[in-house]
Amino acid sequence: QNRPISGKVTDAKDGTPLPGVSVQVKGQNTGATTDINGSFTISAVPGATLTFTHTGYEGFQVKVGEQESLNVQLQLSKGSMSEVVVIGYGTARKKDLTGSVGSVKASQLQERPAASVNEALSGRIPGVQVNTNSGRPGGQTSIRIRGFSSINSSNNPLYVVDGVYIPIGNQTLNSNSIDYINPNDIASVEVLKDASGTAIYGARGANGVVLITTKRGTNGPAKVTYDGNYSVPTIGPHRVHMLNAQQYLDLEDLAFDNIKVYDPDGWAAGVYSQAVDPRVKRKSLPTMFDANGKPLYNTDWMKESLQHKLSQNHQVGVTGGSDNNLYGLFLNYRDDNGLLLNSYLKRYAARFVLDMKPKEWLRMGGSISYNNQEENLVDQGTGGLNSVRMITESFPFLPVKFADGSWGDNYLYPGAEGGSNPVHIMTDRKYIVDVQSMLGHSYINLLLGNGFDIKSQVGVSLIQRQENQFSGRGLSNISMDQQGTASIFDNREVYWSSETFLNYNKSFHGGDHTVSGLVGLSWQGTNYVSNNSSAQTFSTDFFQYNNLGQGSVQNASSSGKSNFAFNSYFGRVNYGYKQKYMLTVTGRIDGSSKFGDNHKYAFFPSAGLAWNASNEDFLKSNKVISHLKFRVSTGLTGNSEIAPYSSDALLGSYAGIFNNARFSGIGTGRLGNPDLKWEKTAQTDAGIELGVLENRINLEFDAYYRKTTDMLLDAPLPRSTGYSSFFRNVGSMENKGIEIGLKTVNIKTQDFSWNTTFNISFNRNKVLSLATPAPIFSGNPNFLSNTGIIQVGQPVGSFWGLIREGVWTESERAEAAKYSSQSYRGGKPILPGDLKYKDINGDYAINDLDRVIIGNGNPKGWGAFSNDFSYKNFDLLVELSFMYGNDILNQTHHSGEDRTGIANSFSSVLNYYQPGKNDHNTMIATIRDTRAGYVTNVDTRWIEDGSFLRGKNLLLGYNVPAKIYERWKLSKLRVSASVQNFFLKTKFSGNDPEVTTYSNAFAQGQTFFDYPKPTTYMLSINVGL
Amino acid sequence: CKKWLVDEDHDPSNLTPDDYYTLPGHADAAIAAAYDRTRFFAGGAGIFANNFSMLEMPTGTAKTETGQNTDLNNLLGLSYNGDNVFVLNWWTSLYQVIAQTNLVLDRVPAIKMDDAKKKQVLGEAQFLRAWSYFYLVRLYGDVPLLTTSVLKATDAMVYAGRTSKDSIYNQVVTDLKNAEASGLSWTDASGRASLGAVKSLLAEVYLTMAGYPLNKGKAYYQLAADKANEVITSGKFSLFTDYNSLHDESQENMGEQIFEIQFQASVANNGNQPLLLPNFKDVSAYGTEVGSTTPTLTFFNSFEPGDKRTADRQGFFYTSYYDGGSGALKALGAPYIYKHFDIGANGTAGKPGTANSGLNWMNIRYAQVLLTYAEAQNETDAGLSQGAVNALKLIRDRAGLVTGTLGSYNQASFRDAVWKERWHELCYEGVTWFDMVRLKKAYKESTNSFEGFVGHKLPESGATLQAKHLLFPLPTLEMQNNPNLRPQNDGYPGV
Repeated sequence: QNRPISGKVTDAKDGTPLPGVSVQVKGQNTGATTDINGSFTISAVPGATLTFTHTGYEGFQVKVGEQESLNVQLQLSKGSMSEVVVIGYGTARKKDLTGSVGSVKASQLQERPAASVNEALSGRIPGVQVNTNSGRPGGQTSIRIRGFSSINSSNNPLYVVDGVYIPIGNQTLNSNSIDYINPNDIASVEVLKDASGTAIYGARGANGVVLITTKRGTNGPAKVTYDGNYSVPTIGPHRVHMLNAQQYLDLEDLAFDNIKVYDPDGWAAGVYSQAVDPRVKRKSLPTMFDANGKPLYNTDWMKESLQHKLSQNHQVGVTGGSDNNLYGLFLNYRDDNGLLLNSYLKRYAARFVLDMKPKEWLRMGGSISYNNQEENLVDQGTGGLNSVRMITESFPFLPVKFADGSWGDNYLYPGAEGGSNPVHIMTDRKYIVDVQSMLGHSYINLLLGNGFDIKSQVGVSLIQRQENQFSGRGLSNISMDQQGTASIFDNREVYWSSETFLNYNKSFHGGDHTVSGLVGLSWQGTNYVSNNSSAQTFSTDFFQYNNLGQGSVQNASSSGKSNFAFNSYFGRVNYGYKQKYMLTVTGRIDGSSKFGDNHKYAFFPSAGLAWNASNEDFLKSNKVISHLKFRVSTGLTGNSEIAPYSSDALLGSYAGIFNNARFSGIGTGRLGNPDLKWEKTAQTDAGIELGVLENRINLEFDAYYRKTTDMLLDAPLPRSTGYSSFFRNVGSMENKGIEIGLKTVNIKTQDFSWNTTFNISFNRNKVLSLATPAPIFSGNPNFLSNTGIIQVGQPVGSFWGLIREGVWTESERAEAAKYSSQSYRGGKPILPGDLKYKDINGDYAINDLDRVIIGNGNPKGWGAFSNDFSYKNFDLLVELSFMYGNDILNQTHHSGEDRTGIANSFSSVLNYYQPGKNDHNTMIATIRDTRAGYVTNVDTRWIEDGSFLRGKNLLLGYNVPAKIYERWKLSKLRVSASVQNFFLKTKFSGNDPEVTTYSNAFAQGQTFFDYPKPTTYMLSINVGL
Repeated sequence: CKKWLVDEDHDPSNLTPDDYYTLPGHADAAIAAAYDRTRFFAGGAGIFANNFSMLEMPTGTAKTETGQNTDLNNLLGLSYNGDNVFVLNWWTSLYQVIAQTNLVLDRVPAIKMDDAKKKQVLGEAQFLRAWSYFYLVRLYGDVPLLTTSVLKATDAMVYAGRTSKDSIYNQVVTDLKNAEASGLSWTDASGRASLGAVKSLLAEVYLTMAGYPLNKGKAYYQLAADKANEVITSGKFSLFTDYNSLHDESQENMGEQIFEIQFQASVANNGNQPLLLPNFKDVSAYGTEVGSTTPTLTFFNSFEPGDKRTADRQGFFYTSYYDGGSGALKALGAPYIYKHFDIGANGTAGKPGTANSGLNWMNIRYAQVLLTYAEAQNETDAGLSQGAVNALKLIRDRAGLVTGTLGSYNQASFRDAVWKERWHELCYEGVTWFDMVRLKKAYKESTNSFEGFVGHKLPESGATLQAKHLLFPLPTLEMQNNPNLRPQNDGYPGV
């Protein structure tokens, strides 16, 4: 006789009600789901068995008797394998997954401060390589998931925040829209790495998908949390070293004396008569030198360029809810003062979330966030005499300011290259990036019964970005020629999406068979507009960029607009048998406006299979192995990140000049390609998950192979056509790799515990084919010559240059002279003391034919090693990160070492060649005046081993005991102190080996003067009310 | 939904070839784009160098004071090959002008507009196409000949092979003859190609065809002399009385300047200015003074004593200048190129510069036409004439030098005199290198005489010219992308 039984399901640990728990009568199709209060009602005959299942919790069975009510407590599943993770368009228990998904929770993210999501992810997930390439606030991160998939398209993953796609495109200044998400708002981050997870994102899944779930409201009385920290940056564990004043002056004397050695003809002809002897020159500069030519100052420009200003970050959260309504309000203020003078990032952010259940069958909610971020980039202008370069190159004998208040700039010293000192530059130059972004999302979810529900969501992302630049009238080599420059670049990116999908979730035969799935459709659009105005020649620095009309010279303004749209259909089916065998099949049909008229749509399928061996009878009672799962997946994803309209032929804009005035021209632009389509990446993944000794030791191992074909390549065309290239689908590359993640609970006692996590990843990339046999010299910046090469059979990110063998010695004078008739020293003879290169083809000419691959910026392996200890209320975290096998192309050797005497140099030049002294063991040419001819090339001297071991975070925390904080009516109180970047072990001679100063795709490891990375000391407090 | 995606696929910021070239104004816009492309002379060729230097570095008249640009060094050391960025840039840039002129010649005829105006625009396009092919054939020899627009990547002409030098020259002459008949006016102060420019270029083409490599000899010297004479007798052009007018922004596109590459401050700056300044001697308003291309001392010293062209800041050189561009005069210890020196941008006594140059880059000068006439006339059947001597005399008079009478020269001595004059008058204008090639001769400063091209040692670098240097290599990249271009020019590493 069926009777109703009602009750409540709660979490066994904290007693919170559990909504969404599936309640079933065993052996029947009758079922119910708990509501938002954890309550359920079901009808069953006495003696029936009720089963309770809920993701993330151990299943529970109970035989009912005569009772009418039943309260059930569910235990959280043991070990990390039972955690619930977010996947595309849904959630799943990690142990049910057939694919490789990495997950990071808020508690981990809080361990170290981060200005952006990418920074927060660094080192957390195997296979995800995050490089923080600069010490500037915000970090200038780059992220690669399982290597590279593309040459001309994006290698960035797709970010999805609460179901809303964050546009990948329109990167500026190495920052992406994702950098405007407040990391403190994040509840969890999941990274989908293989095709089983990413294929449901179809044409945008090729580089992996990062799913971000933000914090939501909580049930119960309102909770207020406050998390705050204060920090101070100091100079990091490594820094560059330059010549001091006396060392520089001695070398300058030597450089002058060596003119007659290295340009005897010019010396004899009196060419240098006016480049006066520096010893004489200094006598006429009483503000810099005393009567004896001794320097009056000895400035350490690194020291002068730093600030140690307090930074702060405050986050307030108010969450609560009752019955059917959960709300959350999150506020953030961040004031991040960088290590370099006047660099900062300020952020104000607010977010409000609401989740409601107005009817039993209806759920709805949404969130809206606003973010206001202002940043001053003080290290812009790579290649020029910018602030970070002048830290090295400013003369040490100059003061920051002279006694009369004027700046001590290099250009004041006759014969110098020019430039202003870094303090001057960072004072009179501004690059303010002002971003206002809004992210809104709303959903409605109808429970249709019988396992069906339908969800419809609308998302909007609006990013308004303004880049305001100003350079003062007094900055030599930056804006002095122009008497001040100012510009405003304004752009706005609006993205909207509308997605609706039908879910199905049901188990049969007492849970032996579980079937779930979804089908959905998606429309998305992006609209981008920009305009740019600039002016120069100002009568005063007063206006900065606030009154461009005051510039005497008005540069041509520009503007642009573009749109693109996606129309997609997707589906997924999961089938499980007795929790032993799991199958996932997904597919997505994507259509994009960006592609050629003949190829607007494509299909991206995937399949994954998992075998949970530990649920087999022969392992079930095994004492050692508590979890063992094997999984394989394969599938196809796409990459569509090319500029809109790339398939269309277009005309270019030109400026003719008639009668000394601009005359608008319209001419050849680009060839069209109606056949342009997706770049495809096929990926196969095989993984093993192993839990040993009640999951105290957890190992996850993955191996993968990714092959990209039909690459969206800006393929070269014979230039006799008038065009250099056009977009076509050609070429392929592969990535293969291994990822290992290990988590262990080493010690666990009442008072003391010690946990370790370790991960290491290996990726090998190889270009398999290109459009033509010609290598591609793009993707890396050109610096003196091509610095990077993309060649069939080689990995992307390869560096290209000469092999420096040292310096020609006195005993090799005759051999060196053989290179004089095709001289590589500006047409002057090759002499002892000149740099010596490997003459690959033996033709006594050093030119492009002698260039070879000399390094690669990508690591052979990377990972993190972290230990956390807790003793009673204290905890200690030691987090290390490492990378090995990556080369640095340290271009600072060019002006900091190869070229001397017109700006300051690294102290390594003291090891210059002197006959008889260091005959065979120096790489530094004899010091000479640059005009007497010197040699500099992209070469192996610039290649350095960028392997490192970094102390990423050292944190000591104290959880104040309840009896103390309860006195203040608090629910939580924690204080902690930490040091980030507390040590760095590397052979690299620069500031930090995790570096690039370029935004080019394959420029990782390429630096030409970077923002030094600080060691940061921090105090934090976490309070709960 | 496919329609929606197709509808979204329309670029609001750029035109497509299908929806343009319909109105009269579009013809001017199309030719303006071609002129824009000619500014590649001041286009970058790596750090501290621009493209113009390619034609100066291997002549022995120029050197560099900056050692940073490997490609520039390789030109100077004659160790360049097809990987050299200058070699690629010239190829690319000239074909870009050609592609644009082809587009004009393909699309403008269908525009409904005034016929006379249309014909002029087409004439300008023909001139610029001929101008480009003339550079190409002299630099690279046999090159692909494209005379229609490539609109699709599947066009058979995309992978065009090489066409013989003769055919290229034929196309150049045909284009120039058509341009001659296109109704252009003799001069054009706005900076567009004029009839004077067409005829002057044609004279130079004939002169070149007479010499190496076509060696068409007398008949072509006659054609060159006649064509140059048309320019001379038109009376539309004259030498400036002083050299400083050559680089005076107020005298652009007039007088002696027959065709110039147009620059205008704040539209397109002449970026060659700071490159020509001495290396870090602070003589201008520019913060960066590079010394990328500077005269060799041997060449500077080879001018005759008293030649006004070597007078400090009055001719083609300066050996002293104002501190910071406008301060106290100071000696520089070496000669620098004054011919292209923009006083407005660099500064002058008491008047700071703007560091912003709009000075045009001279390309065809009346002085060149006079010397072409003198040289060509001397080689014709009629032989040396009073007119030829007068042409030479005009050049030398301005330099303050004495010229012999008609009777004082024989054919050989006059030939020698004109060549020397071309070297000294037309230096640093991208002319000398082509003179060396068509004559297969080089000027040996130490003996003030000419010697064979092959075996000539560049005075300062000591690098020696070989037969292979009569042509530049084809760009390696281009040969890799278009196998139909094989084989590479003789003497250069194959691809």
